[in-house]
Amino acid sequence: MEMEAEPPKIVCFMCNWVFCGEELQVPYNFNVFRVPCIGRMDPVLILETFANGADGVMLVGCKPADCHFVDGNLHAERAVKMLKKLLNLAGLGHGRLKIILFSPLEDGNFDKYAKEFSEEIWVLGSSPLKNAELAPKITANLAAAKNAASAFRLRVLLGREEELTELENAYGERISEKDYDALLDDIVNAEFVRYKIHYLTRDKPLSVRQLAEMLGLKPSIVLRHITNMRRKGMISMYRVEGNTPLYKALEVH
Amino acid sequence: MEKPQLKIRKLPPCRAACPAHVNVQAYVSLIQRGKFREAVEIIRKDLPFPAICGRVCFSPCEDACARVNVDQSVAIRGLKRLVADIEREQGRVKGEPVPKKYSEKVAIIGAGPAGLTAAYELAKMGYPVTVFERMPEPGGMMRYGIPNFRLEKFVVANEIAYIQDIGVEIKTGVEFGKDITLEGLREEGYKAFFIAIGAQLGMKLNVPGEDLEGVISAVDFLRALATGKPLRVGERVAVIGGGNTAMDAARTAKKLGAKEVIVLYRRSREEMPAHPHEVELAEKDGVKFYFLVAPKRIIGENGKVKAIECIRMRLSEPDESGRRRPVPISFSEHQYEVDMVIPAIGQVVETSALPQELLNKDKGGMLIKYDPQTLETRIPGVFVGGDLATGPASIIEAVGAGKRAAISIHLYLRGRDPKEGLDETIEEVTWVKDWNMVNKKARRYDAPIEKPHLSLEEAMEYLMQLKKKARFEAFRCLGCGPCAECLAGVELCEGDKAVVDEVKCVGCNVCAVICPVGAIKKNDRGVAQVNEDLCKGCGLCAARCPENAIAMRKLSAEAIMAMISTALER
Repeated sequence: MEMEAEPPKIVCFMCNWVFCGEELQVPYNFNVFRVPCIGRMDPVLILETFANGADGVMLVGCKPADCHFVDGNLHAERAVKMLKKLLNLAGLGHGRLKIILFSPLEDGNFDKYAKEFSEEIWVLGSSPLKNAELAPKITANLAAAKNAASAFRLRVLLGREEELTELENAYGERISEKDYDALLDDIVNAEFVRYKIHYLTRDKPLSVRQLAEMLGLKPSIVLRHITNMRRKGMISMYRVEGNTPLYKALEVH
Repeated sequence: MEKPQLKIRKLPPCRAACPAHVNVQAYVSLIQRGKFREAVEIIRKDLPFPAICGRVCFSPCEDACARVNVDQSVAIRGLKRLVADIEREQGRVKGEPVPKKYSEKVAIIGAGPAGLTAAYELAKMGYPVTVFERMPEPGGMMRYGIPNFRLEKFVVANEIAYIQDIGVEIKTGVEFGKDITLEGLREEGYKAFFIAIGAQLGMKLNVPGEDLEGVISAVDFLRALATGKPLRVGERVAVIGGGNTAMDAARTAKKLGAKEVIVLYRRSREEMPAHPHEVELAEKDGVKFYFLVAPKRIIGENGKVKAIECIRMRLSEPDESGRRRPVPISFSEHQYEVDMVIPAIGQVVETSALPQELLNKDKGGMLIKYDPQTLETRIPGVFVGGDLATGPASIIEAVGAGKRAAISIHLYLRGRDPKEGLDETIEEVTWVKDWNMVNKKARRYDAPIEKPHLSLEEAMEYLMQLKKKARFEAFRCLGCGPCAECLAGVELCEGDKAVVDEVKCVGCNVCAVICPVGAIKKNDRGVAQVNEDLCKGCGLCAARCPENAIAMRKLSAEAIMAMISTALER
């Protein structure tokens, strides 16, 4: 276990309606922010928090059905499920993000949970962003993750999760949890890779082979993503060097 | 407070149903969060009697509660009582005196719920208010009409002391029409008057034998008890009537040692105006009920009651009140041997004390000529309300009248038309239309707590246990109205609303599905539209909008980011 002089910085987003006694007791390295509902936390904002140098992010919501806004807490749980996948892909690891649905009525004091999470982050050490060697790669990954999380495809999937798995879609179909999870996995992977490509080709045009090397993927897979991205207007062929086409990102949004 | 207090208001069902419009959703929501003290403060904004109403209100809020559609209504009254009792645990709560802003003196006749509420509201606005009361103690029917086992006297005294704290002067032992008159008060400098002397006389049975010794009307009976007059209760007591007063009188008689108490009611159990719970308690105390009987005469012996002769009734078609009309069955007379008869068939106003100009001369109309909306009478500056105007009603209705009177008096004294306060319409707003949502919210708490109808000792013992239970109970609230302005999260959610960027919106409907209160709907152009009445500013839609087309007015993503980056730089 690598002990560093500086304690990990933890950002804690807490639902305004979670009542933890008059005085909230948390470890000194906790920064607590009250938000109207934990579901308010846009996945992009959480990734941004990591990009700003947080070592750990904790979300605290109300117990299911205690939510002041019916099911904002469950929406937050869904977002966390997706974010953990993105954080794994970005190389930060899913352990740095935690959501607890908490009620002082049933769970006792909050400080216990805060300490527990703080210890977990101590064990994980400080964010790889602070490591000079890893920082550029992680920054690129986080930027790609952020863009993926703010783009239509992931957001609409996330926004529809409840509709798809618990209610029914327009055709009266329902997707099982498991199928949805597989779908989410696929889409998170694809979106992350695409935005990573987009990020890498931002400044200089790159070929499929170069990209495949950088991403550690098969060239055929990279090409498939590029075809998709061209169709969506995310990327275009910049020029052809010999027989190799080079691609460059287009401005999106 | 130059503007009239009331505006057009969109309220959840519970608040709309309450005559005093107490902010139920807000205090229930604060109880969820364990903020009991703040909850009482919220109640006090609209109602000076949290502890009294927590005990004896007939709770129209519970009848309106949307939770009924799921299982049972939230135990609103029990919660109110609980927070009021918790507040009192630390001793009587002192009110802060309100500085006098205006010089016009206001006189209020009658220190019952209507008069005291009007005084409370006017004092809060900054008027010097004096309340005149005939009885030695203020409180009206709350003190002299409700027996101790339902409403303890010190509870009434505490709540009235709070009203006195904020600057209301109460003069007791002053009888209107005898010790003071309107003219006299005008000479003393009073500019406006609110007459709320209530309906103090028990209605007569109009049967022979009513003057016999042993016949005492329920109000007189209860009042005598409350004033500590010696009272002889018979061995066998007949109470006539089926209202709450009849229940109170019957239970009191039983508790005072009557061997047998019978309640005679001319319709059946279903038509009884008394609260079913009160009937249940009376039965538990051993009171017997005879339905479909009406008294025909009271038989005396040596000037004392010996028996009561009754006739059987049957129910025919419903009358204008919607209840089935009782019709006597011929030759069905029978007698009950009793030595005390307590008629509790209603109360009437003591008109002798009132200025004669107020009375309505034409028969069949209202007893008093007044505008039921502004409570004005034909004498300028004189307002009437409460039981006096409406006939016997409830505490909470009297509180509603008192609040209304305060607004009218304020407008009158400021030289404006009291009708100005009438532009308010109360609109019921609730999202409970979509049953998917209700089921989502309702899935955890299905059993309501046992509604606490406890005596004080029991309640105090029960309190600690109840605090936790109460919070679970409060969580049963669906929060179905618009933002309740509970001020629990002032800096975060006060008035925050979602705003849709119509150019960016692609009409994917994600926000409409995600919105917990159904405040977002696609309009006919296929663009999301926020209904600001329902939007509570949670920001769930902004957090999910695939095109980032929704922003929050106050707590935008940028605002959150700015908070985070400053904190992390440290």
